[in-house]
Amino acid sequence: MNRSKDILRLAFLLIAVLLTACAKEEREEGSRLFYIPEGFPAPVYGFENNPLSRPGFDLGRKLFYDPILSRDSSTSCGSCHQQFVAFAHADHRLSHGIDGLLGTRNAPGLFNMAWMPEFMWDGGVNHIEVQPLAPIANPVEMDENISHVIFKLQRQESYRQLFKNAFGSDSITTQLMLRAMAQFMGSMISANSKYDAYRTGKGTMSSSELNGLSLFRTHCSSCHAEPLLSDFSYRNNGLDVSYAADPGRAAITFLPQDSGKFKVPSLRNVALTYPYMHDGRFQNLNQVMDHYSSGILAGSALDPLLPAGGLQLSAQEKADILAFLNTLTDYQFISDRRFAE
Amino acid sequence: MKYLQLFALSLGILAFASCEDDNNPKPSTPVSPVPGTPGTVTIDITNVAGTVNVDETGATSYTNSSGESFTVTKLKYYISNVKMMIGDSLAYVMPESYFLVDEANLASTKLSIPNVPAGNYTSVKFTVGVDSARNVSGAQTGALTPSDMFWTWNSGYIFFKLEGASPLAPNGIVYHVGGFRNANNTNALRDVELDFNGDALTVNGSREAEIHVFADILKVFSTPNTISIATLSFQMSPGGNALLLADNISNMFSFDHLHN
Repeated sequence: MNRSKDILRLAFLLIAVLLTACAKEEREEGSRLFYIPEGFPAPVYGFENNPLSRPGFDLGRKLFYDPILSRDSSTSCGSCHQQFVAFAHADHRLSHGIDGLLGTRNAPGLFNMAWMPEFMWDGGVNHIEVQPLAPIANPVEMDENISHVIFKLQRQESYRQLFKNAFGSDSITTQLMLRAMAQFMGSMISANSKYDAYRTGKGTMSSSELNGLSLFRTHCSSCHAEPLLSDFSYRNNGLDVSYAADPGRAAITFLPQDSGKFKVPSLRNVALTYPYMHDGRFQNLNQVMDHYSSGILAGSALDPLLPAGGLQLSAQEKADILAFLNTLTDYQFISDRRFAE
Repeated sequence: MKYLQLFALSLGILAFASCEDDNNPKPSTPVSPVPGTPGTVTIDITNVAGTVNVDETGATSYTNSSGESFTVTKLKYYISNVKMMIGDSLAYVMPESYFLVDEANLASTKLSIPNVPAGNYTSVKFTVGVDSARNVSGAQTGALTPSDMFWTWNSGYIFFKLEGASPLAPNGIVYHVGGFRNANNTNALRDVELDFNGDALTVNGSREAEIHVFADILKVFSTPNTISIATLSFQMSPGGNALLLADNISNMFSFDHLHN
């Protein structure tokens, strides 16, 4: 009797040890998925209520690439956010969503979102977990009802299993779906460019690139702040003098002083994320350089840090800044299989 | 031990006494609940248009204070932060109290407040809407699960939805009210206190304790701000007219009677 009790105890102990080991392994996998790159500040999203795990990340990736999120199963997040261009939409001034309908803003690249306090060009989305709700509901993007997305996911045995793997229960809820997506999106870290190697003392840059960095620090980094290369503020950079077509930030805050302001985008991977600006009006970085050099318009909202008429850069200065911007491409990030479809 | 019981009993008697006398001013010091077992309070809301129940199928016409006729096809709103009061004293705060009332779902109009300490309560307080913290904290669950009561393009809950038709609104009536930011002057959160008019709601164990409340949608057009359908039929963002509507929405609730 005693003997069998002992055996039982031992068995329980073994199971407990095994379970702990499994849990530990998953946590370690989670900590490998997310890290704070050297020199980066503490993230805004620290996965506090959403413990990161490989099954959660994998479920998030599957959802990211699954057109089931759209009304007619035509459009996934990955349709307009492509890895080979740092998750921007290659060669698309504006993106076409469902039924070929065009949006009004340029799809930005996706990376380092755990450090972003707000999302979208106007900052209308205030948390990474609720970000996917916007394109899902947008009539020109996915045009779907979130409750119906959950209904469709619940019908699929494969998703029930994936939710069980990720969260321990096969009950599929909006909250868990959004948390899985936040695990995937929040883990998309881009911090392995030539610039990163240089700034952390692990690599060198050419003299042209270094001169570009120096010019960048003089003219650009007060808004495109290092090392994330954005201060995530909302500013007007002199593209227009009338803001009626798209009031930008003011559409969210309803404050007249925010009219014509848009979020300062990170310049990481900027050589890949063409075209440029909130409406994708510039096809290449030369046009962007020309705008900042000589095209800045003196609208009422123009940021005080920018001179009307432009920075008056020489051809050599533009070439050097361009050389520097090209060091911001993170080839490891765009070829990382963990983020691939 | 005996003294403690006596003390509690006398406090309870005091609480009774202060509630029963209408002429006495409300006590300003905290009043302990009577001894007994916690119970469940139900807030039973009847959505009405004046003197008749709201028909959200769009089949019934109502007339607002501007003399404009309209029908209702959707009526949904958030009630949160429910507090039970004894006199001026806050006696019980229901944790995590978020309710989505939907006229199309009768069960949702009965708000269940469990674990209310035994006592004789004189009023109930609640907020129409969802507090700012829950508007900025990511994906929520339960009544706060993101749904058609959430603005996806400008993150935040829609506190109140009234939709319908009117000859004065060719594209229909769409009142979506929300917003929580003081800095942007978009704070549409409104607190409501419903006094039981001198009556007391006795909570003790399994005995029935229901608060019957009317929510009169005609007030949405009239009190205190006159909202004419001819001039405002669409409101689908925070700020501006949403604030006027929010003032009116907080006035649509009235106490009717208790079931003790």
